[in-house]
Amino acid sequence: MNRRQFFKTTGGVTLLSCSGMTSMLMDLYAFGGKANLSQVEARYYKELPEREIECLLCPRFCKLGDKERGYCGVRENIGGKYYTLVYGKVCAINVDPIEKKPFFHFLPKTNALSIATAGCNVNCKFCQNWEISQVRPEQVEHRDFPPKMVVEYARRYTCPSIAYTYTEPAVFFEYMYDTSEEARKKQVRNTVVTGGHINPEPLRDLTEVVDAIKIDLKAFSEQFYADYVRGELQPVLEAIKIVAKSGIWLEIVYLVIPSLNDSVKEIRRTCRWLLEEIGPEVPVHFSRFHPMYLVKNLPPTPVSTLERAHRVALEEGLHYVYIGNVPGHKAESTFCPKCKRVVIKRVGYHIQNVELDGGKCRFCNHPIPGIWS
Amino acid sequence: MKASRVIIVRGRGVLSPRREVDQKKLLQMYERGFRALTGQPDLREGFRSFFHDRDRLGLKINTIAGRELTSVPDVTLGLAKLLAGKGSLKKNIIIWDRTNRELRASGYSLNLRQGIQVFGTDTEGVGYDPTLVSHLNIGSRLSSIQAQHITASISFAILKDHGLAGVTAGMKNYFGAIHNPNKYHDFNCNPFVAELFDTQPIKNKHKLSILDCMVVQYHRGPSFHSRWAEHYNALLFSFDPVAADVAGWQIIEKLRAKKGLPSLREEDREPEYLFTAAKMGLGTAEVREIQTIEEEV
Ligand code: SF4
Repeated sequence: MNRRQFFKTTGGVTLLSCSGMTSMLMDLYAFGGKANLSQVEARYYKELPEREIECLLCPRFCKLGDKERGYCGVRENIGGKYYTLVYGKVCAINVDPIEKKPFFHFLPKTNALSIATAGCNVNCKFCQNWEISQVRPEQVEHRDFPPKMVVEYARRYTCPSIAYTYTEPAVFFEYMYDTSEEARKKQVRNTVVTGGHINPEPLRDLTEVVDAIKIDLKAFSEQFYADYVRGELQPVLEAIKIVAKSGIWLEIVYLVIPSLNDSVKEIRRTCRWLLEEIGPEVPVHFSRFHPMYLVKNLPPTPVSTLERAHRVALEEGLHYVYIGNVPGHKAESTFCPKCKRVVIKRVGYHIQNVELDGGKCRFCNHPIPGIWS
Repeated sequence: MKASRVIIVRGRGVLSPRREVDQKKLLQMYERGFRALTGQPDLREGFRSFFHDRDRLGLKINTIAGRELTSVPDVTLGLAKLLAGKGSLKKNIIIWDRTNRELRASGYSLNLRQGIQVFGTDTEGVGYDPTLVSHLNIGSRLSSIQAQHITASISFAILKDHGLAGVTAGMKNYFGAIHNPNKYHDFNCNPFVAELFDTQPIKNKHKLSILDCMVVQYHRGPSFHSRWAEHYNALLFSFDPVAADVAGWQIIEKLRAKKGLPSLREEDREPEYLFTAAKMGLGTAEVREIQTIEEEV
């Protein structure tokens, strides 16, 4: 993969116009080069007899013999000890608007230094970033970007937060965790964009050092998770509950795919569960699907389907429901649930207007949940 | 019937405990195996029944487990030289696997120039073909070696017990030809092994399976554990990829029984993917329908 492809894959091309971005990329290339894989001991695993190990990081619980790698492809048993191969080995880096993650109730109008390593612990057939998520780290261009340097770059490019995103951050847990700790020391916030396939213990530990987590709830059926995600729904629901309980900021994205997870019944069940388990204030984004990777036989989601999901969620009592990937749609904006006025007007990732004062609606003083400063 | 015949040639002492190869005996084993397989006393004629003059042949080996459980380079080169010399292939042969690091660690000298070539998919300028092969449950990029460089393939696999798949042999060897094998180990690798084999660039190029059973890991595989590795000193040949692996599986069961270990069925890890492969029409999985011929040199 050449340099152009490297940044194109991650959407970086669109960001070259950000001031200073070009020189930042040049810097990265200057220190980067073709880095080798890391060999940093993993934190959640147990040793078994005969140099075997069991990984305890995610619900797959991979059991591996010597020289074997887990399902995610970025962790390897070397002589009976388990190692992450992607510590500090970044394959994607961008300065993104935080709205792109999407976080709509977290430091609006700011940028997040967004990073990823290769690898993922599921295999969604509709993955948008499969060229970096469904590969082994040696199959993509990657750069050395140790935690301190990530934080330094975030500050240098006036990003108040770092986003661990694009692939599945759970699989680069150790790197994300250490970077988050470093970031905290320098008053830089941390956000995580995840599918939620992570075990309770590491997730609880993670919530101690990050500020916001967005979880992709990909459907509300185990069958869909088995067929299209190669994962399980239940651990994701558990993860949502753990994050909500932890008190850090949580948003949910539901990618609506025509005929696969778009029925009113399924959307309603999802919303009811969220309402009962998490409450009405969690922002929920219904995003538009585009044919991708192994699901190319379906059309993009009709806007009317997304509007139907949006309507159902409001009917069920959720307060902050958005439509994603339809730039210019009015459901991109945040409405005050009390006076129904627009308190954050968005067009795509661009924020046109913010009518909040100290986290409250400027018109009726109703508190709008989120991290606003 | 040619399709379901399996030839097992044993050569006592062909590989010494120090992994030195008795070249003369090895050659006899290959010759005996090919003659029995093709039914042709003349090797050249026999080779013609499955290779064309202009073929570029890939020998897909398996070096993942390291030096102790990889085809000894002399064993692989012995085959390559025989095919180059007696076959019509001249030197259009590539011995290959995933990475140069693993090839080197297993004792192979890389050769990208003339003669019989030896290199890994991760060689600069080789890599994985950009086309995403999407077939049934498979979504993978194939090694450019499999997709572009070669026109015919021998799966020259190591026979091993496999903690998840039950058995790894000729069909599963092609996991080393894709960029994401880690994604296909769920459900005892079933149906993934069969479905990957069924993709056009593999099925259409595969000519035969040869299982290297010099050292058989019959328990705790696929990593090497000397305690459960038997110097079996055999080569197994078949045109039928499923029958070859089924016959390999029987060897593993035999060794397990001899050591008092439970069968793979008792351990709930029978290689179900072989039955799936049979259902897909890729070969024969029923032991009673496989004609196994054992020879000794
Ligand atoms: S993090 Fe990776 S190695 Fe660990 S259990 Fe999950 S998929 Fe397996």
